[in-house]
Amino acid sequence: MKKYLVTFIMVCLFTSCSDDDKYERLNQDPKNPTEASEEFLFTSATVSLGDFMASPNVNINVFRFISQYLTATTYVDEPNYDLTNRNIPKSQWSEIYRDVLLDLDDAKAYIDENSDLSQGQKDARLGQIEVLQVYAWQVLVDTFADIPYTEALQAETITLPAYDDAGTIYISLIERLQDARTLLSSGQGFAGADVIFGGDMSKWSKFSNSLQLRLAMRISDSNSSLSKSAAEDAASNGVFTGNQDNAAIVYQSSPPNTNPLWEDLVQSGRSDYVAANTLVDIMNGLEDPRRMYYFDENLGAGVYEGGIYGSQNPYSSSTHMGESFLDPTHPGILMDFAEVSFHLATATSTDLSYAVFGDALTHYENGVTASMNYAGIDDQVAIDDYLSRPDVSYDSANSNALIGTQFWIAMFDNPLEGWSVWRKYDEPTLNLPGSTGNPVPLRYTYPINEQNLNEVNYNAASQAIGGDSQQTRLFWDVN
Amino acid sequence: MKQNVNWIFLFLFALISHVGFAQSQEVTGTVVDDSGLPLPGVNVIEDGTSNGTQTNFDGNFSIKVGQEAVLVFSYLGMKEQRVTVGSQSSIQIVLKNDTGQLDEVVVTALGIKREKKSLGYATQELDGNEVSDVATQNFTNALSGKVAGLQVKSSGTMGGSTNVVIRGNASLTGSNQALFVVDGTPIINQNSNTGGQRSGQGGYDYGNAASDINPDDIKSINVLRGAAASALYGERAANGVIIIETKKGSKNKGLGVSIRSSVMFSNADKSTLPKYQQKYGAGYGPYYQSEDGYFNLYDVNGDGVLDETTPFTEDASFGAAFDPDRMIYQWNSIYPGLDTYQQASPWVAAENTPNDIWETGYTMINSVSLDGGTDKSTYRVGFTNLDQEGSLPNSSIKRNNIKFSGSHDLSEKLRVGSNVNFIKTDGKGRYGTGYDDLNVMQSARQWNQTNVDLFEQRDAYFQTGRNITWNPNGPENLTPIYFDNPYFTRYENFQTDTRNRYFGNINLNYEINDVFSVLGRFTFDTYSELQEERKNVGSVGVSRYSRFDNRVAEYNYDLILNFNKDLNDDLNIDGNIGFNLRRNEQTFIRASTNGGLNAAGFYALSNSKDPLQPPLEYEADQMVDGLFARGSLGYKDTYYLEATIRRDRSSTLPKADNTYFYPSISTSVLLSNIIKKDWLSFAKFRANYAQVGSATDPYDVFNTYVISTPFNGQGIASLNSTLNNLELKSETSKSYEVGLEASFLDDRLNLDFSYYRTRTEDQITPVPVSNATGYTRKLLNAGEIENKGIEVLLGVTPLELDAFSWNVNVNWSRNRNKVISLTDGIDNLQLASLQGGISINAAPGEPYGTIRGTDYVYDDSGRKTVNSSGYYETTSSNNEIIGNIQPDWNAGITNTFTYKNFRFSFLIDIQEGGDIFSLDTWYGFATGVYDRTAGINDLGNEMRAPLTGGADSGGIILPGVNADGSQNQTRVPFDTYANPYGYARDANKGHVYDASYIKLRELNLTYSFGDKVLEKLPFNGASLSIIGRNLWIIDKNMPYSDPEAGLSSGNVQGYQSGAYPAMQQYGVNLKFNF
Repeated sequence: MKKYLVTFIMVCLFTSCSDDDKYERLNQDPKNPTEASEEFLFTSATVSLGDFMASPNVNINVFRFISQYLTATTYVDEPNYDLTNRNIPKSQWSEIYRDVLLDLDDAKAYIDENSDLSQGQKDARLGQIEVLQVYAWQVLVDTFADIPYTEALQAETITLPAYDDAGTIYISLIERLQDARTLLSSGQGFAGADVIFGGDMSKWSKFSNSLQLRLAMRISDSNSSLSKSAAEDAASNGVFTGNQDNAAIVYQSSPPNTNPLWEDLVQSGRSDYVAANTLVDIMNGLEDPRRMYYFDENLGAGVYEGGIYGSQNPYSSSTHMGESFLDPTHPGILMDFAEVSFHLATATSTDLSYAVFGDALTHYENGVTASMNYAGIDDQVAIDDYLSRPDVSYDSANSNALIGTQFWIAMFDNPLEGWSVWRKYDEPTLNLPGSTGNPVPLRYTYPINEQNLNEVNYNAASQAIGGDSQQTRLFWDVN
Repeated sequence: MKQNVNWIFLFLFALISHVGFAQSQEVTGTVVDDSGLPLPGVNVIEDGTSNGTQTNFDGNFSIKVGQEAVLVFSYLGMKEQRVTVGSQSSIQIVLKNDTGQLDEVVVTALGIKREKKSLGYATQELDGNEVSDVATQNFTNALSGKVAGLQVKSSGTMGGSTNVVIRGNASLTGSNQALFVVDGTPIINQNSNTGGQRSGQGGYDYGNAASDINPDDIKSINVLRGAAASALYGERAANGVIIIETKKGSKNKGLGVSIRSSVMFSNADKSTLPKYQQKYGAGYGPYYQSEDGYFNLYDVNGDGVLDETTPFTEDASFGAAFDPDRMIYQWNSIYPGLDTYQQASPWVAAENTPNDIWETGYTMINSVSLDGGTDKSTYRVGFTNLDQEGSLPNSSIKRNNIKFSGSHDLSEKLRVGSNVNFIKTDGKGRYGTGYDDLNVMQSARQWNQTNVDLFEQRDAYFQTGRNITWNPNGPENLTPIYFDNPYFTRYENFQTDTRNRYFGNINLNYEINDVFSVLGRFTFDTYSELQEERKNVGSVGVSRYSRFDNRVAEYNYDLILNFNKDLNDDLNIDGNIGFNLRRNEQTFIRASTNGGLNAAGFYALSNSKDPLQPPLEYEADQMVDGLFARGSLGYKDTYYLEATIRRDRSSTLPKADNTYFYPSISTSVLLSNIIKKDWLSFAKFRANYAQVGSATDPYDVFNTYVISTPFNGQGIASLNSTLNNLELKSETSKSYEVGLEASFLDDRLNLDFSYYRTRTEDQITPVPVSNATGYTRKLLNAGEIENKGIEVLLGVTPLELDAFSWNVNVNWSRNRNKVISLTDGIDNLQLASLQGGISINAAPGEPYGTIRGTDYVYDDSGRKTVNSSGYYETTSSNNEIIGNIQPDWNAGITNTFTYKNFRFSFLIDIQEGGDIFSLDTWYGFATGVYDRTAGINDLGNEMRAPLTGGADSGGIILPGVNADGSQNQTRVPFDTYANPYGYARDANKGHVYDASYIKLRELNLTYSFGDKVLEKLPFNGASLSIIGRNLWIIDKNMPYSDPEAGLSSGNVQGYQSGAYPAMQQYGVNLKFNF
């Protein structure tokens, strides 16, 4: 009897003592790699950032509404600044941290370990990553104010990251860009994997400096000394000098690599978006030639009528977005020469008088001209006519209103910047949305899940910024 | 599959070749029950002597006796049988069941037959007829209301999945589904629905795989509710086990033939469909181009004058009041090719509403089976054909089952047995689900123009074959904007699927001696399925063809040593030691066209407009090996003690920590052997404590990257959004249970009571983390859930006369579920974030499945407050708890009346409590679809009439209080979508409904032909039944919908979006035996 038992147990033990390593191998996914390359991660993060910035999707990015360039036809919750129904703050927050910043951090680790690269090549790649990361951090700060920064992106050790002061983050970001300048000049960076400049390192340097200029100008009211020095430093080291320098992603003609605008405007077959009367009325008032690029003439040649912002609008009787925006290959702008020109115009305006090259008038007219050229208007006569209009022509006594309005018009396809322009310049006057009359947000409220998942830090941050409300001003939005 | 086929041939060969064995002085034989299953532990005594033995695990015995001897075979629960030995050297005995229901033998874990009285845990048996009488595609639906502690919820679509949960949700994010075991073969029961389908974003419900089990083959079902009952099955049995024994042939029986034919018709239950308002037509309110603002203007008939046209794009009914004298150019006037082209029609409510899309469906089941046996073999072959036409146009499921089971004694000591099932299922036109235009109920319940006549839409589609929708962009752009013609959806954008499945086992039993026997068993369950989905050119959105090729397999290798010995007259020991190796394999590919289809109506990946994106590939193998032992002691047939222990090793855990042990112990005491009273027929006390360890799914340990479609040739890789964990360990569920079974007054009154508590600890959970970490979730051993509850079974026979009897069976169960903890710093685990701003959650201190969303703002007395405009104040956060999916209790009451050859029974199924959120009314009240949005107000005026401030005013006054505590007197308008009932102004809380119901679940009138009739017929037995199912919802609180309807099986419950109605079924069932 016993021998049966013993034999049986032996058989069982023998079978079950097969290799633990074999078991572990079974648990390694053959279809999803445990290793990736820095190139794959860098491209992925760049496209994620570009997609986010360009998307008009009401679940992802509603800056085109908030900046009042577009409004909705039937479903008007988002133009009325109901951002919680679709958890838009959460979408942006997780998209930028997860698909942009973390992948870029991860790419850095692969660069460090890559023995095929010279130190110069490594540095150049790290420089490119720095520029994109700073860009992404600034998108978060400009949307939310204080955010997790020093304790972010360390999930293995810190799952409850504390929030950092937005102004302090800005200081750090400017320093990082100044360091990146050296890195970018030390060798050849990502080339094929770089879907912005294709590895043109001089353009990366200009992008880095232009971004530094943007950061510097943003804090002109809150940290004037750093603003001045950083702006002057940026300008002297070379910023964008023309539209050929623009940082933009050139999209492909077939999904999923199209401009996200195309997905929502064309592919969806829906009719959700029309031009907002806020923008159309202002441009009509200025007889702005860019209307033929921004808008469709669906109401007849030269007829532009915006939908009432925040009210329900019949699609058929409102002006639609222009043809170019329906093209799947329409570029996704991260930063352009027009923006740089308006920053320089502000820096050289009599209000600030920073020691940067050129004068406010030239920069102002450069900005308008660049925007016109980008819109396909190369007729210098038409541009000059526009620039000489009394309501356009540069007047140093009225520089804030002029620069603010023209800057805002020019940022039509870079709507987060458009919203920031409005917050910074308080120009132009935006409408109250038709359905509710809610005030224009000055920031996003934090994602709802931060309240659940990071409650203590969330509460501290909310208190630090003066309350987690859409009407809490950002640190740089002081007057 | 080739390997399995070889096994089958080997077995068939073995059947044919007889293996002889030598005569001996001994008498040997086998004892089986009615169905031919061997009975272990039968006492075999030479009458009048003390010479005796017991049958072994396989029902075999051998005893030395003289030729004159009389052998007495006795077994508790069976009628004693006496046989004179004579010259026989081999005796086959069939013991018949004794009528007393408490001495029954039940099949427990690993197929071990046990006397029910010896079990220290709760089981409940059902006869196969209870699920097979009703011709249903998914037999699990037929369990509803019949088993205490078992919650069954079907999603409501044709062939859709059924959620089967025993004793509540024990796992936070893992499967909570009960394990099905057929003849010892664990059955794969996952649904292959997409994550999107399960969270309400659209897709099809392809059903749960257990629906492949053929109800006609089922002999009996035994539900093992607790973990003690199932510790030997390992981790998957933590949610309870449903053990199914199928019909088998019997030894020494001639060829028997059974034929069954049944048909059931089904119709939508009107009480679960919308009631449409018939006063107002299309629009969102008065802001269009016509003078009154309700219509757009367009010169439809080309006479140079602008005509009033329906606002075609508007998927709502807050438009102009109907007026038969008002002629409007509606959808049917703008499509060239229609007879009504360029013609206006009266502005009236549709005669045929979307509810008229429901047709009479049917399910036909025909089956034939042959069975029989020789002195050494048994066999049964069954074939069943199921043919279902759904109640929506162009929908069907066809299924063929072939089943073979047999056994053969290769020698005196060695028996081989096998069960093999082949099932082929073909589906077509399954119902689209969730928030998706392919779900025709989305428009019907949420976004509808009440002026659109469904049959006109139908005729327009059949006349032209085109997508002539009520919802085009406009007269100049006839492409659909949000919704297709529903008939176009059903006939052009249909899915198809096919699944070929094999499952079964082959087993060898070797009897070593009187005490020991060995069982070797290989079980397999393997299927491959193909799901194809289509969206034709011309539909809303992007045309598409996609296919999902899925192969799933599970193999189990069991080696079990059994022993059974009487240590002395009073003390019996039995038990087993075993080894199990389980291997699960799955591989699938999901591929889809990109950017649309080039040619219309042609569904192939090659017809993709843009270059194909890489398909999604998945491949996973998983192994678990387990060693287990069970020992049971019985003393004087009165005291029983059993213990089990199991050690598992799982490939899904980190190497260092992949092994885990778990024990169980149970006891039962037959009180009725101690306390002898006339009125007490039987009483048993039982108690047990059990642990079950569980591992996780593949790929939770190592981090991986997601590779996506390259961008302009550049590779794309991104870190996964869940951070995996190299330090995971197994999770544990710990439970105890006590129970009492008693029967009184000669079994006229039976009672079975259980109390249990289960705690599941260290759950392997993707815990949400601040997204600022760059991840959304991190896998941790975190979280604990408690389930405790009471189950009561009551059987009463109030009347028992010669020709008439009345029997009542009641089961009642209450489960209290509570999430004890998650992890530090996390006070909520979101299970699903759903459209409408709703989420389903697990939060410490709350029962699993809290529904969160926006709530009203209440004053100190709990009254709703209104703002200065008269609308309800709602919370700014959608993080408020507004409901919970868990019911308070469930009950089923079956009444059975028998009169001569007639048997009449009906089952009433009751659920009390549980909440459900309706996205249908959330949107539908805003779009003005339902009758509730067009009623009469407190002044006797139409609610939708304008506010005037006078006695003729429209609008309503919401019951509530102002900020100062005074009663609200402010009238709010009700003339647009932004009314106080719909999503624009209401709190989510207003659309959370009580899911209680009382249903007449089943009704069965059977006539069994008597012997006199049968004599004249070529049958041994015949019966005719009239069956009804879900005929009447006696009571419910949820309007317009079935509170049982949901999205899919799984953890996301309590949510309806485009819900399907309950189906009333009725039909007949004919059975013949030759």
